[in-house]
Amino acid sequence: MTERFSAPYRGYDVLDKWDTPSFNDQTRRVLRGRMDPPPRRFFSDTEWRVLLALCARAMPQPERTDPVAMAPFIDADLHAGRGTGTRRADMPEPGAAWRRGLAALDAEAVARHGRGFADLDAAAANAILRAVDSGDLADPAAWDGLPAQRFLRETALKHIVSIYYSQPQGMSEIGYGGPASPRGYVRLGTDRIDPWEAPHGQWPDR
Amino acid sequence: MRAPSHREVPTAPRTRRPHTGLGRVVVGLGIALAGAALAGRAMRPRPETGVHQKSIRRTRDGAAILGASVLFDSALEHLRGGFENRAMYVAPTMAAVSVAASLAEPGSGGRERGARLAHIVSLATGVIGTGFHLYNITKRPGGISWNNLFYAAPIGAPGALAVAGALGMSTEVLAAQPRNGRRNGRALAGLTGAFLLGETAEVALLHFRGAFHNPAMYLPVTVPTAAGIALISLALHPDGRDDRVARALLGTVGALGLLGTAFHIYGVGRNMGGWSNWRQNALVGPPTPAPISFTGLGLAGLAAVDLLQGTEDRR
Amino acid sequence: MSAGAVSHVAEDRPRATGGRAPDVFSRSGWVPMREHALGDEVDFAIVGSGCGGAVLATKLAEAGHSVVMFDAGPFWRPLSDFASDEREQDKLYWLDPRVSDGDDPLELGANNSGRNVGGSTTHFQMVSLRFRPDWFKSRSKLGYAVDWPVDWHEMWHYYAEAERAMAISGPISYPWGPKRGRYPYREHEVNAAGLVLARGAEALGVAWAPTPLATVSAPRGKSPPCVYRGMCKIGCSTNAKQSMLVTYIPRALAAGAEIRDLAMVGRIDTGPDGRVTGVEFHRDGGWHVQRARNVVVAGYSIETPRLLLNSACGRYPNGLANGSDQVGRYLMVHSNHAVWAEMDEEIRWYKGPPSMACCEHWNYDDDDPSRDFHGGYSFMSQGPLPGDFAGTLVTATGAFGLDLRERMARYNRMAGLKIVGETMPQADNRVTLSDEKDGFGLPRARITFGYCDNDRRLYRHSLRFMSRMLQAAGGHDLLETSSTAHLMGGCRMGSDPETSVTDANGRSWEIPNLWICDGSLMPTAGGVNPALTIVANAARIGDRIVAMGRKGTI
Repeated sequence: MTERFSAPYRGYDVLDKWDTPSFNDQTRRVLRGRMDPPPRRFFSDTEWRVLLALCARAMPQPERTDPVAMAPFIDADLHAGRGTGTRRADMPEPGAAWRRGLAALDAEAVARHGRGFADLDAAAANAILRAVDSGDLADPAAWDGLPAQRFLRETALKHIVSIYYSQPQGMSEIGYGGPASPRGYVRLGTDRIDPWEAPHGQWPDR
Repeated sequence: MRAPSHREVPTAPRTRRPHTGLGRVVVGLGIALAGAALAGRAMRPRPETGVHQKSIRRTRDGAAILGASVLFDSALEHLRGGFENRAMYVAPTMAAVSVAASLAEPGSGGRERGARLAHIVSLATGVIGTGFHLYNITKRPGGISWNNLFYAAPIGAPGALAVAGALGMSTEVLAAQPRNGRRNGRALAGLTGAFLLGETAEVALLHFRGAFHNPAMYLPVTVPTAAGIALISLALHPDGRDDRVARALLGTVGALGLLGTAFHIYGVGRNMGGWSNWRQNALVGPPTPAPISFTGLGLAGLAAVDLLQGTEDRR
Repeated sequence: MSAGAVSHVAEDRPRATGGRAPDVFSRSGWVPMREHALGDEVDFAIVGSGCGGAVLATKLAEAGHSVVMFDAGPFWRPLSDFASDEREQDKLYWLDPRVSDGDDPLELGANNSGRNVGGSTTHFQMVSLRFRPDWFKSRSKLGYAVDWPVDWHEMWHYYAEAERAMAISGPISYPWGPKRGRYPYREHEVNAAGLVLARGAEALGVAWAPTPLATVSAPRGKSPPCVYRGMCKIGCSTNAKQSMLVTYIPRALAAGAEIRDLAMVGRIDTGPDGRVTGVEFHRDGGWHVQRARNVVVAGYSIETPRLLLNSACGRYPNGLANGSDQVGRYLMVHSNHAVWAEMDEEIRWYKGPPSMACCEHWNYDDDDPSRDFHGGYSFMSQGPLPGDFAGTLVTATGAFGLDLRERMARYNRMAGLKIVGETMPQADNRVTLSDEKDGFGLPRARITFGYCDNDRRLYRHSLRFMSRMLQAAGGHDLLETSSTAHLMGGCRMGSDPETSVTDANGRSWEIPNLWICDGSLMPTAGGVNPALTIVANAARIGDRIVAMGRKGTI
């Protein structure tokens, strides 16, 4: 795992297009509403601490003084009962799955290190996530039948990244065009860009 | 609404943008050059009186209009292409030179020789440009396929510059051979007729790409074809032919150039975002500088008919 | 999402009321709409307004029948309701949970549902391919699955009609299958992601084509040409996409059909004679009954069987049209396996519709020695939006941390190929009712799905082939992922009441005034995206019903 994010599109910011035809009113409203994280209403204090630690491990942002927040939006989604269209028969509904999964992660940390997940250093926390992903559980009872890998990948990580890359910082760092309506794109060819797109990335291998 | 305040602090200067700035400089210089030639011409006394002289002037005006169409169209299309290849600057530059040369009067002085040279170079540039465009088409996946004919470098576009050069050259010949007005008129009629058919082929391709979504899109395919055929048949059988049909058709072609420009401006406006999204729509909407080229060809065609009917060969 | 969303007016209160419906080509305008009283017995009550319902409503209304069409979701105006935002646009999907189980449980939602007027065509990727003619007789001609009760020549006629109605932009000459007429609009410029497929195909010596797409390449009426914003999968905010919402729905309204948005139909009522008498629906906070001479169920492969099963009564204890225990069975999906690769160039696949180039080689080549499966698959170039692609990465690899951020930073250099792979109809892949109830108090659907060996051979073959193609196109660091898309079957039509739910006209074998018209009728899945086939089949059924109406045999 790399230590530092390499940032091929340093300096590019989709928000530079805020007042251009790439943004329309409804998109501006959505992004504006996302700027201020909603208050916590779903998770308990304990669950919240584990969730914050999990988000920090899933999407570490060492280069940012003001990192993108993800946990408040997960909390808001669960509070609103926002679904995905699917409930696997062997999984509880999303809110219950999150509560059980976070408690189980905490239990894994206690079983291995005698400390909660939120109190682990990055390396130890990462090691637990990798172990959970490969089905290597230190406290299987804590999972109470919750499929650990599926919780981690499909419930937790998928939700976290959907929030991260919906934020302008997430879009900008990968050189994505971001909002595009009414103005779309003209130059569709290989290595071709419109003046309102991210400039060509800086790639170590090119 | 103001932009949100959560901004990434740029930690490094922005990387390179596609270089479109030089394109603007070239187009600006081109416009300045053409404008200067136009101004120079307006200040000059106009000696011409006879049909022969008028026809020469008209043909050169047609060539100038064609050149102006190429100037703006190639600038726009090559801007779309990001001026990826340095050679792409040549098209608008040469088009501007061609406009200036066509606006000048034919003659035998040094400046006139320069104009003649400019016509030859325009012709050559158009031909070479067609080669470039053909290469661009064939190197893409699919080769000579409809997708590439529609969306790769437009195969017919550089031809317009060649036509502007050819028309300019023709007027040089006309000016040098005042006694052969009728014979040269035949040649000019045949040439312009062929150019009309060629131009129509390009319009047909592009309007086919647009699925002829507006019935008016058939006009610039049908009328110029008829005009081209009428011109060619006049050239082949100049004796005793009634030229009224050809004149009417050529006049209509000339008017279509203006009407088409209006339609294309409307067309850009009805794309998503309209003219406020001009950076996209001016490039992907119907090309606004293109239709006026028909006005140029219409003028040249009318001049050819004038020559044909209004002059006699003197031996 | 609670904070900062677009105006939720459309989701909170029905819009199509008071004699008017939203004008989908405006930001806030209206068009007139004919309305029917609840007590009026209308000719047709249609449940669902997607590829099946919208087309049928149009046909029936244009023939003079009185029609009321219901949809559980909102009636959008794309110009003002659709944002350029993945999370916001989740609102187009059916997000109320379905219980998923079986050996290979399906993920339901974005890839296979829609909950709004226009159905899933508000967010479909517009790929509009025809079935291979042999697939309509796949049992007799190709030796697998079952035959359709329909001749391909008839379907060919309706494919052309559907392509005209949706103004498909397609290539001048299509490399596979029998000759077809010219597409109404010309093919689009193929984007860099599509050119990767093209390069790979040419290197491997197989044909490729610019994908026939339901988004216009030139103006059409009030639809401007596509601006290549690339967000087709989260809703087209320009109306270039020729969804049901901007094609058939306005036609249906103009012809006098009534549309009821935010109207969840929970039950079909039956009378003492065993015929259906109307539908019970929830709208504006309460339950109502609409009387109807005929009921057409067009809710797609999950909601259609669910409604039939939920309408069980004393006379039909196992649900309506289910005397032979066929309702909900033979549910199919398309395997949606993909190979992703990193390229040396910047592809920027977010530009343009996601699938601008396609390859149907394995739908038509029967003789290749490597072919070890029945059925076929097509595959297309890809262009997932960032959230979608990040979700694919974490689901497939479990990547997280800076490793994940680094992989995502390569987003602009990625290219991918993804299949639409035929799966076999299996009786035990089915929709049943679960014990859980939804917010309306209706039992939720339970979906049981598992691949058979042939399905697995097919997608494994595709992964090998697409990997070769991507490498031939210059791709490296390949990643394989699995997923599914689309739904087919669940209430299939056929020639035998013992093995099907309806006849070739969509009329249920059991109840003569109960009809089905949507993708659940499909007896086989084919190796192409189903929307165009569902539209064509609905147009065919519409003409048949209209003809029966004229003869008095409805």
